[in-house]
Amino acid sequence: MKNEQIIFNNLIENLNGELRRILSNIPVDYQGKIEEIRLRRGRPLMISYDGKDYLVSKGGEISSDMTKAFILADNHIQSSFQIISNYSPYAYLEEISRGYITIRGGHRVGIGGRVIYGNRGIENIGNISSLNIRIAREVLGVSNKLIPHLIDRTGYFINTLIISPPQCGKTTLLRDIIRNLSDGHYHKQGYKISVIDERSELAGMYNGLAQNQIGIRTDVLDACLKSDGIIMAIRSLSPDIIAVDEIGGERDIDAINEALRAGIRLIATIHGDDLREVRGKPSMRALFQDKIFGRYIILDRSKGVGSIRDILDGSGNSIGFKEV
Amino acid sequence: MNLLKLLFALCIFGTSSIIGFSYGQVFTLRYENLLYLEQCIKILETEIVFATSPLPEALSNVARKGKARVSFVFEEIKKDLISNRRDSIYESFLAIEKILYENFHFKKEDVEIFISLGRVLGSSDRLDQAKIFRLILNQIEGQIGEAKEEKNQNEKLYRSLGIITGIGIVILLL
Repeated sequence: MKNEQIIFNNLIENLNGELRRILSNIPVDYQGKIEEIRLRRGRPLMISYDGKDYLVSKGGEISSDMTKAFILADNHIQSSFQIISNYSPYAYLEEISRGYITIRGGHRVGIGGRVIYGNRGIENIGNISSLNIRIAREVLGVSNKLIPHLIDRTGYFINTLIISPPQCGKTTLLRDIIRNLSDGHYHKQGYKISVIDERSELAGMYNGLAQNQIGIRTDVLDACLKSDGIIMAIRSLSPDIIAVDEIGGERDIDAINEALRAGIRLIATIHGDDLREVRGKPSMRALFQDKIFGRYIILDRSKGVGSIRDILDGSGNSIGFKEV
Repeated sequence: MNLLKLLFALCIFGTSSIIGFSYGQVFTLRYENLLYLEQCIKILETEIVFATSPLPEALSNVARKGKARVSFVFEEIKKDLISNRRDSIYESFLAIEKILYENFHFKKEDVEIFISLGRVLGSSDRLDQAKIFRLILNQIEGQIGEAKEEKNQNEKLYRSLGIITGIGIVILLL
């Protein structure tokens, strides 16, 4: 059995018995490709891969035909939620109030329902009406060829920004870069890396254990706001490099400046189609004026998820990287 | 011959007394088991409301900390929940219903109160869980009160009945 299939089979163990049976009947070739499973009360069971949605029938066939689709009832959502939360929603209230739960394997389950506010802001989500299960897949080795381009002649890591539209593999690429830099296979010694994993996607922490391979010199601040985490890492973890996913907020930028002043290198990702679009974002202006980044990795889906379109230097010129 | 008669009479008297004591013991066992069950539920309440331990871990902790005579059912519930990937914890409570009747001398109401905990256990936030535990514990306390009264009334009665019946049979036969 392929590794991707094992991941899929382990994941559907977290769902209601009937859904487990239906999803296990999906043709094996598709099981390994599925990126998301979407459960919405009173709506068809859906999966998505290659950026498109598909409906799933009671027998596990994939189609776009609404009449054949398996319609989800309340008990499918509620019992799946019970299993996902380890029959203990009370123990996951903090995660639930952030809108998702990370489960064993590093998969993230987004929760839709009635948001309940209390004295401390969002306190819970009740009347759960939908679950979005995003399958975490490590792709080890995707960054192997990139690493030499991210380190200068003196052995310093060059501040790097990964620019990519949604679901083009930027988190997967960032995770593998972190692993390589931390383990140090492609240079003399690995770097100490602090990962600020605000959405628990990079390390996929579950019960204090990283579910993904993120390297031997990596510390994780899980479910921590990027702006807070960067400052905490500077003060207490003495990293060589700080890694953050999806920067963009003004407070993030202030914290990044603080880290750079402390001599710490940075690798980050941002949503965007190209360098010009990202340069146009008001919150990013200061970073570009100071020419913080020495490398821009541009991703797209031209050759499938995670295709590297180009790598640019600090001035925006291609360094001539070719993906084989 | 007289010695044989005496032995026979003692045998009848002994058997009758043992039967009386056994009947009386049922009331004591129900009362004690209810007390131990109450203690286990209190441990579970602490695990969930104060320690926020995930339910499978909380159930194991109860099995470890509680009186083994009763607390083993919590480990059984956990095993059933995890191994069968039940859709809800209630199904696992129902799965151990037979054990409750067979091992604990519980009455239908005792079992129903405990099983009703399974309907709501873990399904809400800690504040709601605390309220649910209060409710269940109050009901169990009521059952304990009733079991104690029944024990006081019937335990001696059945014991005495066993002894008196034994003496009666012996007198009749002699």
